[in-house]
Amino acid sequence: MDQQTLEKLIRETLMAMGSDGVTSTPTCAEGRTGLEAYPLSKKQPEKVMSSSGKKLNDITLEGVMSGAIKADDCRIAPETLEKQAQIAESINRHAFAGNLRRAAELIAVPDERILEIYNALRPYRSTKAEMIAIAEELEGKYSAVVNGKLVREAAEMYEKRGRLKQA
Amino acid sequence: MKSKRFEVLKDRPVNQDGYVKEWPEVGLIAMNSPLDPKPGIKVENGRVVELDGKKREDFDLLDAFIADNAIRLENVDKAMSTPSLDIARKLVDIHVSRDEILEYSLSMTPAKIVEVVGHMSVLEMMMGVNKMRARKTPSNQCHVTNVKDNPVQIAADAAEAALRGFDEMETTVAVARYAPFNALSLLVGSQVGRPGILTQCAVEEAVELVLGMRGLTAYAETVSVYGTEPVFIDGDDTPWSKTFLASAYASRGLKMRYTSGTGSEVLMGYAEGKSMLYLEARCLMMTKGAGVQGIQNGSVSCVGVPGAVPGGVRAILAENLIAMMLDLECASSNDQTFTHSDLRRTARSLMQMIPGTDFICSGYSSTPNYDNMFAGSNWDAEDFDDWNIIQRDLRIDGGLNPVKEEEVVNTRNKAAKVIQGVFKALGLPEITDAEVEAATYAHGSKDMPERDVVADIKAAGEMMERGITGIDVVKAIKTAGFDDVAQALLNLMKLRVSGDHLHTSAILDKDFNVISAVNDRNDYMGPGTGYQISAERWSQLSDIDNAMDASSIN
Amino acid sequence: MQMNPEDVRKIIESVVGKYMAAEEQASHPVAAPVASNGKLTLNEAGTAVKGTRTDEVVIGVAAAFGVHQTQTIHGLSHHDVLRELMAGIEEEGLVARVVRVLRSSDVSIAGNDVAKLSGSGIGIGIQSKGTTVIHQKDLAPLTNLELFSQAPLLQLEHYRMIGKNAAKYAKGESPRPVPALNDQMARPKYQAIAALLHIKETEHVVHGGSPVELKAVFH
Repeated sequence: MDQQTLEKLIRETLMAMGSDGVTSTPTCAEGRTGLEAYPLSKKQPEKVMSSSGKKLNDITLEGVMSGAIKADDCRIAPETLEKQAQIAESINRHAFAGNLRRAAELIAVPDERILEIYNALRPYRSTKAEMIAIAEELEGKYSAVVNGKLVREAAEMYEKRGRLKQA
Repeated sequence: MKSKRFEVLKDRPVNQDGYVKEWPEVGLIAMNSPLDPKPGIKVENGRVVELDGKKREDFDLLDAFIADNAIRLENVDKAMSTPSLDIARKLVDIHVSRDEILEYSLSMTPAKIVEVVGHMSVLEMMMGVNKMRARKTPSNQCHVTNVKDNPVQIAADAAEAALRGFDEMETTVAVARYAPFNALSLLVGSQVGRPGILTQCAVEEAVELVLGMRGLTAYAETVSVYGTEPVFIDGDDTPWSKTFLASAYASRGLKMRYTSGTGSEVLMGYAEGKSMLYLEARCLMMTKGAGVQGIQNGSVSCVGVPGAVPGGVRAILAENLIAMMLDLECASSNDQTFTHSDLRRTARSLMQMIPGTDFICSGYSSTPNYDNMFAGSNWDAEDFDDWNIIQRDLRIDGGLNPVKEEEVVNTRNKAAKVIQGVFKALGLPEITDAEVEAATYAHGSKDMPERDVVADIKAAGEMMERGITGIDVVKAIKTAGFDDVAQALLNLMKLRVSGDHLHTSAILDKDFNVISAVNDRNDYMGPGTGYQISAERWSQLSDIDNAMDASSIN
Repeated sequence: MQMNPEDVRKIIESVVGKYMAAEEQASHPVAAPVASNGKLTLNEAGTAVKGTRTDEVVIGVAAAFGVHQTQTIHGLSHHDVLRELMAGIEEEGLVARVVRVLRSSDVSIAGNDVAKLSGSGIGIGIQSKGTTVIHQKDLAPLTNLELFSQAPLLQLEHYRMIGKNAAKYAKGESPRPVPALNDQMARPKYQAIAALLHIKETEHVVHGGSPVELKAVFH
């Protein structure tokens, strides 16, 4: 992915987040989302926007055929994942909510980079320094602090258990 | 002299199966191993410093991940100090709610949860499953594959399977490079049969993620975890890489569950002298700790191993129950062949079929077994009527329903035509009218004409290089003139934007209403509660064409 | 509880021996056109290094192959199986090299490891029980070009076809894959035995061990 596309993606994501990009978990102005809002697609479709800023109801067959709707318009926004996380918490699914929040941070990371990072986290693929660099990239470039922490923790454990790239 | 009776018995299907004696030292034991760790936990300053008798400095990758992520510490004293037998009794006590059980079970160590189910008979475990299953309404999943990776047949079989009641469908490949075509054909065919079916393609983890990101699948399941560190590493992952993968899926609005199962560690050579169920409990805790909504478990492809030792089928039910006790969606296996005996395979499946699970089979073969590329399922297309009659006999809902031949033929034909149109619109190798005709009436790949495999594989690779997405497929279907199918597929793409189906145990009805363990939570508290078969559903289950009607006789 | 490795080996050998004998009685004799009573010797020749010849295919045998175990789960001798793989490669005018993979007994990892050592980038991984994969160096370890996961169904002629196809990939061709084999009753019959054989193979894995160059001698 070239730099221009990347920047566009980040800009769009930040716009969709309605934040300055510093906060990794967008706050919900109307308070917490609970069970009564589920499913979002039926209970409040007008409030569900794609990460590119398209409303759920604007994603139509006509739009697809005219080219107004592209594959990138069918991507979830961080705010939506945050709402789903809050719904999960309202029924005591805390670990799952945590996963959705990590996911919200990864929306801005391009597909290719996601795959590269995933492969870099597999056993014997990376040195400790390479893993720390990934953590810094996640934290710095994408404000993905929870994911950054996950990668740092992995680096420590891989070192301890001999699962880093062999020199 | 040889006994004639023994001669007859020797030739029975059940005696064609392989069996082995227990051997706890290498982990060839299903559950209740004398060598399993004893339950125990030590928490200091909010941090687990000892788990099931092992100190933090001795933790391997899996122990550390479980200790730091998988155990809710606020209830840990209560959960660990209550005798396991008492908790086992609560599981079968209709006056104890699912939520009350979770207060204990979410705060247990692997050895503790294994000890609890170790006190239970299969009947008691079935009662536990009835209560602990996350989604109130049971469901079923099928495999759609064939030995030739024929895309037209996949589309037609998927469409038929949808009519027969499956809510989720899984394909895999005979040849790995066919994966994009198999995923595409399943996606399209399923929506012809019934809008709102969720589909997946089981291949290598990174490839599977790419297919999902592109919109060629709706969810993922073959994200395998294992119960010992060396096997996890041979599976080319760690608990952390898998956790990152789990979040990557959710970040693209894709539903995902992990897969694990008893026997995998012993089959891969490193069981570390623990019982199959103990190692499986570790897998389930890692699933929980990663924040993944669910699991496919029940030995799955390793079923020949627990199936060969004493109490193996009981252990498989026990692992399903543990998944549910961790509030995970459970796609409960019943997918792969483990016996030559029809009696054995039925007995094994009743454990999940009677109480009902989120997906009773996590791959009922919708084709004859010779076409099942998961090396054969416990149930195949030739058993459709047996399954339906068992539901009718026992008045249970196993997720399937009888169908009319004419309807099936029409739907298969439409699916074959739609995939023909999609291939044409996307510039993929031609699907001929003869292939459409064959797929309409086919039972399996033996009834299908040969395709140019080399051309297909080349085109499948190019399709990925060209970056074809689900939206391109929607366009292709519309171009081919099937607006209803195009709309169904677009609705599936829109689901990624709302993420409603990311939640525990989510399936969709034909109008894309989500049915999950959020808005359809299991509330079983004894007779008359929990899932009840409606009058409408009962008439669908019980009304078969080959039952004689007295009113038709003069 | 700690068991003496010697005891473990003895137990496995007795259990496996019993099952293999039972299996041989139960199954039909293999109608392999080229089955032989030949003996295979695999002489070690130091640590295997990356090859420079673009016309080679490397066969990566698992830890116990030809030494601690000498036949596949179907009872084909490792002598015959390796000879057929090599013959398939040579028929296509290419050179076969044999390497023992020690760091893992996983067939895909073995296949990918030797593909990375192969001058052509194509390798074949094979376990003692007969499970085989054709691999390419740039693929993820657990994917493949062609995988033959149901070892009990593999006959000698399949091993020759696998060798031929690997060589064709090495030449940059796109061969028609070896026809997929599927028998839904292989698992009930063989899986537990496969587990025993694999446990036995895995005992010979060396954590972090380097691959070993082998010279195959067929007697």
